[in-house]
Amino acid sequence: MKKKLLFAALLLGFAAQLSAAVGCDLKDPDRDVKRFFPGSTGYKTAYKSIDKLGGKELLQTVEARLGDKFTGLYETIDVPYTLYTVLKGKETIGYIHGINQKGQYGGLQVFLAYNPQGIISDFYYQKLTSRNAKAMTAPGFAAMFKGLSFADFKDYDPIKHTGIPAGITGEGDDFYATLRAVKKNFILVDIFVFGGKGRQS
Amino acid sequence: MKLSIYQVAYKNLLRRKVRTSLTILGIVISTWVFVTLLGFNHGYENSLNENIEGMGFQIVLTAKGCPYEAATLMLQGGTGLRYMPENLVRSVIDKPQVERATPMIMHAEFDPNRGETGGTTIYLGIDAASYPPMKPYLAFSQGTWFASDAENQVVLGYEVAELEQREAGDLMLLPGTTEEYEVVGVLKRTGNQDDGMIYMPLFAAQKTFNREGELTMLGMRLVPEIDQAAFEEELYQLPDVQVVSMAQVKNTIMGLVSSAKAIVLSVACIAFLIAIFGVVNTVLMSVFERYQEIGILKSMGALPGDIFKMVFIETTILCAFGGLLGIGFSWIFSGMSELAVRYFLPFSPSGKLIIINGSTALFSFIAIACIGMLGSVYPAWRAASVRPLESIRNE
Repeated sequence: MKKKLLFAALLLGFAAQLSAAVGCDLKDPDRDVKRFFPGSTGYKTAYKSIDKLGGKELLQTVEARLGDKFTGLYETIDVPYTLYTVLKGKETIGYIHGINQKGQYGGLQVFLAYNPQGIISDFYYQKLTSRNAKAMTAPGFAAMFKGLSFADFKDYDPIKHTGIPAGITGEGDDFYATLRAVKKNFILVDIFVFGGKGRQS
Repeated sequence: MKLSIYQVAYKNLLRRKVRTSLTILGIVISTWVFVTLLGFNHGYENSLNENIEGMGFQIVLTAKGCPYEAATLMLQGGTGLRYMPENLVRSVIDKPQVERATPMIMHAEFDPNRGETGGTTIYLGIDAASYPPMKPYLAFSQGTWFASDAENQVVLGYEVAELEQREAGDLMLLPGTTEEYEVVGVLKRTGNQDDGMIYMPLFAAQKTFNREGELTMLGMRLVPEIDQAAFEEELYQLPDVQVVSMAQVKNTIMGLVSSAKAIVLSVACIAFLIAIFGVVNTVLMSVFERYQEIGILKSMGALPGDIFKMVFIETTILCAFGGLLGIGFSWIFSGMSELAVRYFLPFSPSGKLIIINGSTALFSFIAIACIGMLGSVYPAWRAASVRPLESIRNE
């Protein structure tokens, strides 16, 4: 126990001195968590990375499930992902997780709120640069994703753009980038929360 | 078994573990605060100097307005910007006192698609011929600068490129415009305001943001042998411009934080003194408790000097151990302390704000040890003055 405490203290001290790849945090977690989960009384924040959880082997698993390789300067094995576990008293009432995704004209930050079974309860672009921004930030667009689970996205192919879940409509590079971000988000939350066995509903 | 005076002192401390631990804890905390503040004193000024040096300019000419606004504009980028006529600025560039100069136009554009409430993106229109030589530390991780007359090309600072997930060759759609721009270069991280900029060719920025014939800033380096103050005075005669020298900016910011630093340093000194008095009190208490024991030691042949030395060593061990731990903690947790400082300070430059180097650690350790030794003189003297017979009879 003493060793664990000392390690945690050392890690906390050093963590602030390190700089790594860019992650995807909520800009105002207090406000955003309340917006996604109005009944929440608090939340816990955890930082995860593929590198630390399973290294190259896990990366290969994620890429295989995603159906696409991690590419570019910013989609790397050491990207820190922020997982918000939302609480009502001591009970977990959901999770929030965001993904940085390269879009046609800029970065997209796609946040998904999940219920405890891993079903999407809300969808949110924290950042979006797109010619279709108006349509993609309209309430109807976010509503299409509500109620979907990983099972709905399992067959989506981010390269060929096939297997789009029923009820999801749109077009253009940024729309497909969004679908890739949603699928990647599902896979990572499955690993971070549900043990990576695809056990979500 | 023969024990040295050092061993006796050490064992005395071990006999009262809780009291010794609490005394050391007091020293650790005060040393931690003291060293962190010394590190901050050093680090803040160092970072500010680096930020200002990183500007690459000795003097900046901006449109007339609040000097603090101008300082913010230069160091962090700004909104509500004012502009100067370009022909006026060009006349300054031609002056013989100016060794190098680079005109710039800054533009802040609100991006409604950034989060719930939107966000601001800062663009800097630069002259690709004169700007890079004044910022020689700017290096590229991908690509290179655009040509001066290039249209629809941008270079991204490190943080912007990360946020926008852009690489050289990618396209960008700038907020507030409908045209596509090609990313021709991505800069390496600098740790200062350059990381957050989107650079565009000067004339293209003027055209895009409808500011033709206007500039926000002129950065200058002067001929070394000229009188800078006299030249600044000459520039002040120009209509509707203000002259900001880097020395002024530094003094202004240092002035803003100096009073806060003085208060915090005073608090640290008080905490330090309280800890030392705590040590003196603890040692004195332990001397009184061991009155009879000291008497017996003296009756067995210990000289007053030996008793003095024993108490003196006990205090020194407490201070040295607590001091070392405190220095260690301040170093290990300097990252967290820095986060706290950044949260509370109105302006904090990029770079390391708390620098705990060898000399800071050594100075703090010597200071703590010396004050501890000084504080131990009275308890040690009281212990050395114990009369053996009197102490035994009193019990």
